[in-house]
Amino acid sequence: MSASGEKADSIRLPLRFSHCQLLKRFLPCSPPYTIASPVKPTARDLRTPQLQLGNMNKCEENKSWEIIHIPDKPPFPLHQQPTVKVYAAVIDPKHANTLVRKLNKILPLENLHHVKRVRKQDLNEGCIHLSVILCLACESESQLDNIPQEVVELINSYKLETFITKVCKYAPLSKEEWIEQCKIWPTSYHPPTYNIRGITGFSEEESNSVCTFMKQALDLAKCECQMMNAAIIIDPSTNEVIAEARDQVNSCSCCSINHEATSQNHDKLVLNSSATKPELLNYGNGVSCLNPWKWFNQKSCSWHPLRHAAIVAIENSSVRDKLLFHGNEHVADNLDETNHLLKKQKIKSIHVNDDEEVVNSQSNGRPYLCTGYDIYLVWEPCTMCAMALVHQRVKRIFYAFPNKSDGALGSVHRLQGEKSLNHHYAVFRVMLPQESFDECLM
Amino acid sequence: MICLSELRHQYYKFASVHIKMGEEMPEIVAFMKLALEQAKIAFDNLEVPVGCVIVMDEKVISCGRNRTNETRNATRHAEMEAIDGLLEEWKEKGLTKHEVVEMFSKCYLYVTCEPCIMCASALSFIGIKEVYYGCANDKFGGCGSILSLHTNTTTSDSGEDVGRKSYKCTGGIMGEEAVSLFRNFYELGNPNAPKPHRQPIQQP
Ligand SMILES: [Zn+2]
Ligand SMILES: [Zn+2]
Repeated sequence: MSASGEKADSIRLPLRFSHCQLLKRFLPCSPPYTIASPVKPTARDLRTPQLQLGNMNKCEENKSWEIIHIPDKPPFPLHQQPTVKVYAAVIDPKHANTLVRKLNKILPLENLHHVKRVRKQDLNEGCIHLSVILCLACESESQLDNIPQEVVELINSYKLETFITKVCKYAPLSKEEWIEQCKIWPTSYHPPTYNIRGITGFSEEESNSVCTFMKQALDLAKCECQMMNAAIIIDPSTNEVIAEARDQVNSCSCCSINHEATSQNHDKLVLNSSATKPELLNYGNGVSCLNPWKWFNQKSCSWHPLRHAAIVAIENSSVRDKLLFHGNEHVADNLDETNHLLKKQKIKSIHVNDDEEVVNSQSNGRPYLCTGYDIYLVWEPCTMCAMALVHQRVKRIFYAFPNKSDGALGSVHRLQGEKSLNHHYAVFRVMLPQESFDECLM
Repeated sequence: MICLSELRHQYYKFASVHIKMGEEMPEIVAFMKLALEQAKIAFDNLEVPVGCVIVMDEKVISCGRNRTNETRNATRHAEMEAIDGLLEEWKEKGLTKHEVVEMFSKCYLYVTCEPCIMCASALSFIGIKEVYYGCANDKFGGCGSILSLHTNTTTSDSGEDVGRKSYKCTGGIMGEEAVSLFRNFYELGNPNAPKPHRQPIQQP
């Protein structure tokens, strides 16, 4: 699949979001902060107290923090939702039930479960017109030769006249999208009813802890010599910090995590108020996920091209796991890959216990990898880190700044929407008070 | 004797992405057999059987195997193990970053299964020259199956040059052997199946 096709929301994403009235939750203690325009930062902007990220206890004062869900598919303008071509036919209402039953059996609409098979059109004076979707059509050609044989038989025996029409490719995310979609071909809309992962919003308590942990990550990301990416893995059921890490791609003695230095010396965590833009640009160079191909260009004492913050945090969490559950070694059930290959080979497979809920808590209380845990990252992870978080089964990812060069969770790729992966996390962006803040960092 | 680069050159004439059995050049098969050896060691240690070797100047300079269960770290794939081994060695020898970049740009990776999205990214970051793999990985594959991270066709969202590095990638080298290892592993390793009778073989 070409990734360039999925290029979507960048820094301006939130604006589009609010425009589309997609899922968006403001932190408590509103009034909600609205972003007027992505203003270029000025020296005055940089001096505003809101940018002082070190104040851990003032979440309620950060009126403008907001948490935005980054969905599986890129947001599309209401009137430009992607469509796919299908073969359809007008049918006699008498045959509707039989035909739909037969079609659903021989050719269910894979990946188009939101699309209704039958369209009912009320023409003039109670004359009802029924059309049914037969099968997917080739996007380029209009020939009938790609229709499966069984469908051709149905066409012949019911003397159907086929035509090509369009249906919306993705399920609607909002009522507005649904109304637009139905103008093309009817779809069904299921408003989200669950709130397991915060997709439909966060409680005040949870918003506050998200805010607190993101601040902790921001504190961690800033060291004396450079700005780096930082990662903190949290068990949200207890708010316990499972692991934390900074980038170790290029580090100096000051970069190793020192809790006293990071949590007490707030002056160091605030961007130098007299900093000008050229100086600020250097900050982004140290962020591994932003510059994964340029690791050798920086001066440092110790280095490793692949030790991005998320990778190191995962390693730290696995070390903790081994220490805590020493002597409880067992064969992990990471067999999905094998299982999948076998299915491909058409070998009948035995049931594999890879269900998240089942492996979540083993009898000894040992979690399966990072199942159920959240990770806070200052920058949107690169493809390597984002995939590492799939492998380690992280439940939710929160990041503050988008990564335009290699971001895998919405900016360049969108791994949370890759259906083939064996695990899917929910992704959120935590918006800082000033939309332009990240621009000046990069 | 014909040199390897010449052989490779001839071989490219018909190798596109996947090649059929029997068309492989003997060197490539020989190195893939060594990667399969690594996968078997992983298998004997009750790990998902994936193995790899890194080759420079026609010599194996590093090898790796999946160690995700042992480490409780699902990112410890064969490729990551082999790369980390090399980095450690090169740093011990006192190589600079730029020398390491130079070294990686001469390295060939032979791995039994298509690198996943994580490993395919890592291989691009270090700037590997070329990758040969066994079976495709259509669940996680980062070299054509799900994403194509070995190419540099992806553009950054800002459109600027981020220094993205591409590498040539060829699949289907002894893919059946790789799949049959997976199959055997699955039959033995299934946690719902009776415990395997054999003892895990300790690595020397
Ligand atoms: Zn990264
Ligand atoms: Zn991998």
